[in-house]
Amino acid sequence: MHRVYYRVHTTGHKEEEGGGHLWEKTVWTDETETYQNDGKKKVWRRRKTGHVWRQTTLSVTHGGGNVACTGIAARNFGGGVQSYFVFLRFLVVLNFVSFFLIAGFVLIPTFCLLEEIAQFSCFYSQPAKCNCILSWIFFSPLQGFMEYSYLFYGYYNITEMPNRDFFYNIPLAYILTAVFYFAFCLISRVAVATGSSTGVSSYSMIVFTGWDYSCLGDRATKLKQKNILYQLQVDLEEESRKRHKADLSTSKKVILYSLRVLMTFLSLGFIGGAFYGIYVTTQFSQVNDNRADEQGILGFIIQYLPSMVITAGNFVVPLLCDKIALVEQYFPSTTIILALLRAVFLRLVSLGVLLYTLWSQITCYPNELKGNCTLCGYNYKEFQCWETRVGQEMYKLTMFDLLITVAVFLLVEFPRRLVVDNCSCKPVQWVGRQEFVVPSNVLGLVYGQTVVWVGALFCPLLPAINTLKFVILFYCKKITLFQNCRPALRTFRSTTSTFFFLVVLLKLAVLIRPSYGCGPFHSSSTMWSTVPDSFNNLSNVTQEFLFFVGSQAFSIPLFALAMCVNSQYAICVMMTCILNSPYCAFHGVILCLSSPWQCGDVLCRSFSNCLWEKHCTAKSSA
Amino acid sequence: MGNKQTIFTAQQLFHRYRDLAPQLVPLDYTNHPDVKLPYELIGSMPELKDNPFRQRIAEVFSEDGEGNMTLDDFLDMFSVLSEMAPRDLKAYYAFKIYDFNNDDFICKSDLEKTLNKLTRNELTEDEVRMVCEKVIDEADLDNDGRLSLEDFQHMIVRAPDFLSTFHIRI
Repeated sequence: MHRVYYRVHTTGHKEEEGGGHLWEKTVWTDETETYQNDGKKKVWRRRKTGHVWRQTTLSVTHGGGNVACTGIAARNFGGGVQSYFVFLRFLVVLNFVSFFLIAGFVLIPTFCLLEEIAQFSCFYSQPAKCNCILSWIFFSPLQGFMEYSYLFYGYYNITEMPNRDFFYNIPLAYILTAVFYFAFCLISRVAVATGSSTGVSSYSMIVFTGWDYSCLGDRATKLKQKNILYQLQVDLEEESRKRHKADLSTSKKVILYSLRVLMTFLSLGFIGGAFYGIYVTTQFSQVNDNRADEQGILGFIIQYLPSMVITAGNFVVPLLCDKIALVEQYFPSTTIILALLRAVFLRLVSLGVLLYTLWSQITCYPNELKGNCTLCGYNYKEFQCWETRVGQEMYKLTMFDLLITVAVFLLVEFPRRLVVDNCSCKPVQWVGRQEFVVPSNVLGLVYGQTVVWVGALFCPLLPAINTLKFVILFYCKKITLFQNCRPALRTFRSTTSTFFFLVVLLKLAVLIRPSYGCGPFHSSSTMWSTVPDSFNNLSNVTQEFLFFVGSQAFSIPLFALAMCVNSQYAICVMMTCILNSPYCAFHGVILCLSSPWQCGDVLCRSFSNCLWEKHCTAKSSA
Repeated sequence: MGNKQTIFTAQQLFHRYRDLAPQLVPLDYTNHPDVKLPYELIGSMPELKDNPFRQRIAEVFSEDGEGNMTLDDFLDMFSVLSEMAPRDLKAYYAFKIYDFNNDDFICKSDLEKTLNKLTRNELTEDEVRMVCEKVIDEADLDNDGRLSLEDFQHMIVRAPDFLSTFHIRI
């Protein structure tokens, strides 16, 4: 097979006094810059070179939606900021709709059928002693009257309702609502594509099309000029770095590479240190849970210690990694990618460490067959209702995040702006106003939403709380942006991937046996088993109908219809049907997760990756 | 994004023109009065006053080349800078704006002036020189060391957001 090389060139004849000469100029070629080392010429060929990402902005496009108030933000501060607010608005809507789903199917039936509850021996401690608002929000869900309430899993313990004309299977409703909630989130994420607005950002593009003539106002103009300045400087720096790299002697190269390896280990060490801190504090907090009856500051600290450590880690470790990046001396583009990857890794995996710690405590891992776990399969002495405890941890994370945001907003950003505006001494002006950095803010949003996803199964009202939290966040950030911030000079690109967490959550839901003492699943062996049981209870006709819907005879014509409709999501779902019937496919995934050693990770990984990542990721629309 | 009424009429533009100097501009234009507003008034419009290229814009669209605009010049300017103008027309006028010495070529000195206006004179001389070399290297197709209108248009064709950036809302 022949390789094809590309070269676009113009030729001409130049007239001069002593006769003309032919000239040739290469407009574009797929050869990269050639640098001569030791007299040898190296030529590298680029692939797919229409796509230079040097000028990329973080942009999230959402199918539909009207963003009137953020139009002003976009004009003054650039496209990245607008996409942050679009994303935030979308998350508010997502949480609100989820809350309606949960309210309709689980909350209201439980509320209506309240008088039929049989009391189980779930002993919860005394109600809250203090009546002030803060205690109500921060303490009573943990050990007060709100622990045993609609807020957490433990309250929904209706399993049978005799003497009624109809039968409403609360456990089934609970788990199916959760499943549909996740499916709905995934579907919505298909519509939200993280794209990047790239152009071919050569120097001539920046110079001739970089200036936005509709830029109004002195401040926006200065910002735009700084933006262009920064872009040009970054590009020039990359060029000179590349030339430097070719000029380096071998010994210097060796030193540089070994330094980079060292710094990578150092950054991993910082991240690992943060994880260890989370592990230790979570264990400490859980063990001391019974002793934290006091409602004062000490009790608050003990309860919220894991959240504090996570928040502190998310703040401190990226700063340290920034300092490390100065030593590493990568290209500016590489540095930015690396910083973002490290931040994402830190945030999401720290959440995973928290979950792992809880899991190991609940199932007494690794001493599963000793001590308190032998009887029930989980540590019933300390965790009478482990689902509520997990839900509480997620609730704590959410509330602490909100608390920190509001505190930073009131106590850091406003004073900083006042000081910078009124005091014109040099160090203060050098620090300058707060910069609204889009990527870390978007990362915070994704992290908050992930926490809610994880917690929604165990704390059904968490989406509603999250809606309120995001609404408050929206207005705080909006005020901050317009009053306190100068816009960020740099623009970035980032991708989000949170499917991993749904898999972890399903694993959690299925591996640990539900609590005997509370919740709607106290009599089942796993949460998921209610679905097959109910399925078997349906009449034969219904069963056959459902199998038929899932079978190939039905799905292939549907697939053909979907092709006509040309909807990428529909195609994705139909492909699932064609590979296997959907009920069986999903059942298979659940079984696979519950016994990983038998099923093998390959099947699950390929299933999830192939279908959801490759086929369901919508292309970014213009 | 809210109500985006960007299709403006000649009537609206006339009133904007008149509002700059009501005592100079008569309401009745049927006799084609010869009224020119000086550059200082044009340059003080809110849409233009922060634009680093406002002087060049006014010079390009004015008859006398000094920035003093009649009503026709004013209408021309805002119609070229509106959404409705075709790409070729915009490219033509953008070329003229960046051609500071009016010799129908964008040479190195024009580029240097453009660059300084874009970055507020904050690039060092070396950096300015390097960027100018790179720009000419990339865009100059006929290899004469400066950009002609064809080179410029050829480069603009490859720029997806030229139409949206070369645009003033009024």
